Amino acid sequence: MTQEAMLNMLELTVGAMLVYNFVLARFLGICPFLGVSRKLDTALGMSAAVIVVMTLSSAITAVIYNLALKKTFLIDGKEINLGFLQVLIYIAVIAALVQMVEVLLQKFSPPLYKALGIFLPLITTNCAVLGAVMLNSVNDRGILESTIFSFFSALGFGLALVLFSSLRERLELATVPRPFQGMAIALITAGILAMAFVGFSGLC
Amino acid sequence: MLLTIILSILALSGLGIILGLAIGFVSKFFGVATDPKVDLVLELLPGVNCGGCGRPGCADFARALVAGEASPEQCPVSSQEAVTQIAQLLGMTVGDLEKKVAVVLCGGDIHQTKVKTLYNGVNDCISAMQIAGGPKSCAYGCLGMSSCARACPFGAIEMINGLAVVHNELCVGCGVCVDTCPRDLIKLVPAEAKVHIYCSSPEKAAVKMKVCNVPCIACRKCVKSGEEGQFEIKGFRVEVNYDNFPGEDIVEKSGCPKNCLLTTAQHLEIERNADKEENAV
Amino acid sequence: MNKDLKIVSFKGGVHPPKDGKILSKKTAIQTAPLLERYQVIVSQNIGAPPAPVVKAGDEVKKGQLIAEAAGFVSVPLHAPTSGKIEGLIDIPGPMGVPAQAIAILADGKDEWAELAPPIDWRGADAETLKKRILECGIVGMGGAAFPSHVKLSPPPDKKIDYMIINGAECEPYLTADHRVMLEEPEKVLAGAAILGRAAGVKNVVIAVEINKVDAINAMMEKAAEFGVGIVGMKVQYPQGAEKQLIYAVTRRKVPTGALPADVGCIVQNAGTAAAVADAVRSGIPLIERVTTITGEPVVTPGNWRLRLGTPISAALTFCGGVKYEPSKLILGGPMMGFAQRSIEVTVMKNTSGILLLKKSEITQYESNPCIRCGRCIKACPMNLQPTVLSQLTEAGKFEETLKYNVMDCIECGACAFTCPAQIPLVQHIRRAKAEIRNRSKKR
Repeated sequence: MTQEAMLNMLELTVGAMLVYNFVLARFLGICPFLGVSRKLDTALGMSAAVIVVMTLSSAITAVIYNLALKKTFLIDGKEINLGFLQVLIYIAVIAALVQMVEVLLQKFSPPLYKALGIFLPLITTNCAVLGAVMLNSVNDRGILESTIFSFFSALGFGLALVLFSSLRERLELATVPRPFQGMAIALITAGILAMAFVGFSGLC
Repeated sequence: MLLTIILSILALSGLGIILGLAIGFVSKFFGVATDPKVDLVLELLPGVNCGGCGRPGCADFARALVAGEASPEQCPVSSQEAVTQIAQLLGMTVGDLEKKVAVVLCGGDIHQTKVKTLYNGVNDCISAMQIAGGPKSCAYGCLGMSSCARACPFGAIEMINGLAVVHNELCVGCGVCVDTCPRDLIKLVPAEAKVHIYCSSPEKAAVKMKVCNVPCIACRKCVKSGEEGQFEIKGFRVEVNYDNFPGEDIVEKSGCPKNCLLTTAQHLEIERNADKEENAV
Repeated sequence: MNKDLKIVSFKGGVHPPKDGKILSKKTAIQTAPLLERYQVIVSQNIGAPPAPVVKAGDEVKKGQLIAEAAGFVSVPLHAPTSGKIEGLIDIPGPMGVPAQAIAILADGKDEWAELAPPIDWRGADAETLKKRILECGIVGMGGAAFPSHVKLSPPPDKKIDYMIINGAECEPYLTADHRVMLEEPEKVLAGAAILGRAAGVKNVVIAVEINKVDAINAMMEKAAEFGVGIVGMKVQYPQGAEKQLIYAVTRRKVPTGALPADVGCIVQNAGTAAAVADAVRSGIPLIERVTTITGEPVVTPGNWRLRLGTPISAALTFCGGVKYEPSKLILGGPMMGFAQRSIEVTVMKNTSGILLLKKSEITQYESNPCIRCGRCIKACPMNLQPTVLSQLTEAGKFEETLKYNVMDCIECGACAFTCPAQIPLVQHIRRAKAEIRNRSKKR
């Protein structure tokens, strides 16, 4: 593998997961990050759901992007490019996938379905998933590259979520001063966690 | 221009159809049927998740109701109206609800009793009981460390002068305090029963009087001035028979010598004014 | 110290710097004078309390049966002196609630009843020995008061190969077992050997902390004669706790929820061993025991042979009374003993110490926040996390404490002792344990 290819691979994997962590570096997907992270079990469940949705939707949208939206068609002598339909198509695909994941989850793990509650369909409007997909098309990545990038981004999302929920479980038992109780201390902790992740910058 | 528009419409419609089919396919084969009734019942329930029905939460209770494993009156928080509505929805019949409230059967605040030993530990009644039976001189009285007040999901219990007092208008009869009190002082009684004997100690009168100013000495004055069956004599103390309770006039009529036969209103007033009276044992 | 002495220990624990033993460890055992009245508490053992067989007006002799065992896990009770039974009365009990007691008015003659004949234990079989141990009312005198004959009869599928005699006396201030081992080594050794025989065990070991060198030396002289080994232990609290003792001596770990018998060990207190020797060799029932009466407020701290039913108020007069008003009276040691509400509680079979503490020696508990220093985790001899358990309890999350093995806590108090924030850790853990026991009962 050439050095350039290796660097590229590094950027797609370690970079997506740690250096440019979706939640802690790019600040996407804060809604489920704060909403689902009260307990470790639900956080793990949500991470799994997001990994599935992000990877699949990336794969599908990468196919659509590379085979249709990127290309300029020549019809009747006119050049047509449907690239402007990106966002609509991506959201439609993501929404459909989330719906399917919801149905499957309700069937195979009702307690997790109940625990995630409203946050499961919120993955649809979650800017993290749309962000991953848009980043793929903005950077003009191929299908395989897109999938790898999204998979590792989702892993990074899951990592941040798991770390944060563990911290929050401990915070619940701590004696927090009144003005800081609840969301306030959670956000401060998230900020400190984000600062910690800055330590990864410079890796690639 | 037109071509672009047409192509866009075609592309999006095509995608929509494909995705729709995919969703439909998945739903058909993996879908789980939920009874919409559960959601309707859940809306009618108070949603406090107090556990008074014996189940962990309102959602569980709703499910049990629809499955026919529970009855709507089991929810102590729901109003008569809500219970009737739920019953109608599920095709059940329910009788009239008897509203119950909690009452702490003890009058031993810090002015009326002694604290015999200095308790040096966690401010919790159950923890205190584990250490030599607690610091109070009466082995059966209220410890005053607010475990019940903290446990009450509705904030209906107030600690006045180291004695737990239930506010009837706030109490819904969920029963959490009854389970919490380590001395079993709290009883669930009909809301209409306004007269209580505020003493739960089974000791002899002589022993009780050494440790408290307002014990029930079982002199039976209340029993004699009331109607037959309104009071129950339980060893060295008397208790109101809550299936056939007396009216508020019994307090005046009986002339309880120790002032432990009181209405809930009188009890509350005495506690509020206790600081001004200064009764020391 | 003998260089052949093996020195062992367990992991964790604390070492109270001033262990207070200096007050009484050099004081020889004194026998208490006869009192006019003894009030023997009926329920003195784990299991069923014995049923009284005497009534008001009965004349009894010293050592006569006054309550018989009720069931298998129960032991009989014997009169501490000769005299007349006053009756069954309620006196303040050691747990803060009134306890039923048999009151005896001494006649001053202190005459023995007819005792059971001596048994030649070297030739006796296990059943005979156990029967004698039961008949003489022997229970664990280290504090637990578990009927000894029951401990010596584990289920047949458990193979026992170690009898460990607990001579650790790790609690601060207490020196009763120390003096017994020092002044009556032959009795303790004989008792150990008898217990070994009663359990059918070849390996009998007396484990002693190395701060009792004189006792170790005294026992080592005759140890071989009785076929008993002596093992030294590092001075650490709670060295004398069953599971820690077993690990120190045999390196075997008792699993969660299991008993020492599950790893092939039986543990008995050194005082119990001495009582067993008396019971088997001379037929003497358990009617008195050596108790350390100590503490800064006591005029002359010492070790006293007290009879059952001696009120604490009387016991304190033997020591010359108190120099000033004490702030706390504890039956047992300062780590795991029970604070008392009344000095009219009477001595029982497991009263190893009567301890008075002055105001400056008592910690005032405040609910300071936990600073996550981890000292409690380091100190816990059962490898638990007291800080997490106490935080979960304060938050009311009792079910979660099960995940952190709260039921394994032996309530030794090492964690609360080291906590710099003076958090009442043991009290929180006991609260959680009570809640869990309640919930399993409800189900």
